[in-house]
Amino acid sequence: MAGLSIQGARKSFGTTEVLKGVSIDVADGEFTVIVGPSGCGKSTLLRAVAGLEELTGGSIVIGDRDVTSLPPSERGIAMVFQSYALYPHLTVRENMAFGLKIAKAAKSEIDDAVRRAAEILNIEALLDRKPAALSGGQRQRVAIGRAIVRQPQIFLFDEPLSNLDADLRVRMRYEFASLHRQLGTTTLYVTHDQVEAMTLADRIIVLRDGRIEQVGTPRELYERPANIFVAQFLGTPRMNILPATIGTDGRGALEDGRSIALPPLAAALGAGTPLSIGIRPEDIAIGNAPDALPFTIRFIERLGGLATLHLGGREGDEPIACQLRDDGNLDEGDTVLASLPPAHLHLFGADGQALRTVGE
Amino acid sequence: MSLRRWSVTLFAALVALVTIAPLLWMVSVSFMVRGEAAQFPPPLWPANPTLENYRLLFGTFGVGRFLLNSVLISTLATGLALLFTIPAGYAFAKLRFKGRDAIFRMLVAALVVPGQVGMLPLFLELKAMGLVNSYAGALVPWLAGIFGIFLVRQYCLSIPDEMLEAARIDGASEGQILRRIVLPILTPIIVTLAVYVFLSSWNDFMWPLIILADQDLVTLPVALAVNSRQNVQDYEIMMAGAVVTTLPVLILFLALQRYYLSGLLTGSVKG
Ligand SMILES: Nc1ncnc2c1ncn2[C@@H]1O[C@H](COP(=O)(O)OP(=O)(O)OP(=O)(O)O)[C@@H](O)[C@H]1O
Ligand SMILES: [Mg+2]
Repeated sequence: MAGLSIQGARKSFGTTEVLKGVSIDVADGEFTVIVGPSGCGKSTLLRAVAGLEELTGGSIVIGDRDVTSLPPSERGIAMVFQSYALYPHLTVRENMAFGLKIAKAAKSEIDDAVRRAAEILNIEALLDRKPAALSGGQRQRVAIGRAIVRQPQIFLFDEPLSNLDADLRVRMRYEFASLHRQLGTTTLYVTHDQVEAMTLADRIIVLRDGRIEQVGTPRELYERPANIFVAQFLGTPRMNILPATIGTDGRGALEDGRSIALPPLAAALGAGTPLSIGIRPEDIAIGNAPDALPFTIRFIERLGGLATLHLGGREGDEPIACQLRDDGNLDEGDTVLASLPPAHLHLFGADGQALRTVGE
Repeated sequence: MSLRRWSVTLFAALVALVTIAPLLWMVSVSFMVRGEAAQFPPPLWPANPTLENYRLLFGTFGVGRFLLNSVLISTLATGLALLFTIPAGYAFAKLRFKGRDAIFRMLVAALVVPGQVGMLPLFLELKAMGLVNSYAGALVPWLAGIFGIFLVRQYCLSIPDEMLEAARIDGASEGQILRRIVLPILTPIIVTLAVYVFLSSWNDFMWPLIILADQDLVTLPVALAVNSRQNVQDYEIMMAGAVVTTLPVLILFLALQRYYLSGLLTGSVKG
């Protein structure tokens, strides 16, 4: 097994630059998830690691080998595609054995590898079927099996669950986690589903428009997002962002004229400094408190156990989402007191970057 | 069954009968004695079935030789056409190379030029190369038909790139991908193309007539045409000749029928 190091990866298609200098280090055995909005270059990056796209600049090192100009089959990677890409005319067994057959491995070795992979994935009973006779989830397993058989140093997954229905997606997510625990293979996993990212990743890389926005553990990214984009990308409902300025009293003056207390780090900012205040929906406290402000409930989304309140101060302002346990007492049109605890506030400068005190 | 389905079935049966009747009569006449078919009204069945016509055909006229020529030329034409059109069509669909689309557009544009227009220049060309009056000359027009390339390309377009990429990651060379992944998937279209080329080259009249002068090289349709000019009155022999010409391709067509009906890519990708 081996780690992966990508340095300054650039890729252009014609005149459009899709990857604008991406550097990533994945430690041996680490499960790294790349997330980002559609079209940000996730697949392109993964395909570059696989050797299916040639980089315009930069280098890729797997283990201690520079693989930048090696063909896909010599990089020690295996890839699972979003569409599964099984060979339709071959049985499950033949699909999984294809790579080893091409490599002219001994028959006993092939049989062993296929059997082992089939056991891990629980598809022994399907080995003699053709892909057409499999369900979506089973095809997905076969695609993973084909990757396992290659015994790669790195697994590459490109949105492997996005074609499955919600139920199956949750189950397969769990299986990915246990598969990784079992095999311990270094993994690069692309998704635009932030729940997948949060649950599976040792580390998450947030990509936007061909650049890395932030790298960190799911917890780090959730608790200390580096900028507004990352803050809003992870977490549902997404983080509220309230435009504000620093008032003469050092408090945060909201656009509707009211003000809230800010964490200590705001003390360094002069009066009149514009900033954005972020707060996660679940961090807003409803109920009477010293600093609580009255809000009207514009709209309630009830999810069973939880409810999301959309709170509006003035007409026309972006509502503030607030998530809490649903006790059924609140109604649309009610006025509630809500407080935004300073300890849970995220402060962002005018450039969208998180404000940090020195040393943080 | 509903009345509607009955009437559709009946209608289909009638059309089939109308279509097949002349063929059946052709077979029937080929077993009649000389002059029997020329009576009025013409008989449906031979009064005294005889193999005399076939004996004459294969004996006196030496049709066996022409049959062999036809089988040889059509088989070679089919094999060569597949050999060149399949990789070409695949390359136009799936491989990245410079000028790919421009070349393909030119080829498709050339489709509108009728084949007859090219015959004379082609003949002169082959003459300069010394290929006139040879099998090689007869085969040249079949080597890489634009229509075949077009057909293969269109079907290849429906093969997902990711499948070929999976094979590349699995270590398959481009040749292995073509042989072990693409060809099996293309089976229905390959069979269709093979039948098409075989039939066209088998029934082709003009080109063999132009290019093959030597009696020993001539194909069946050409030989029969010459023969019919000498035996205009003998329907029975002509029909026997027609049977010999039609039967092989008919059998081939029926034998390969099941391949047309199978799907191309079921099960490779999602749902
Ligand atoms: N072969 C190509 N030629 C030209 N442009 C391409 C090519 N492949 C990708 N692109 C462009 O590169 C950008 C990034 O594509 P990519 O597939 O990497 O996005 P992605 O992050 O995987 O998106 P998604 O989440 O929708 O899969 C897109 O704008 C896309 O249009
Ligand atoms: Mg993608």
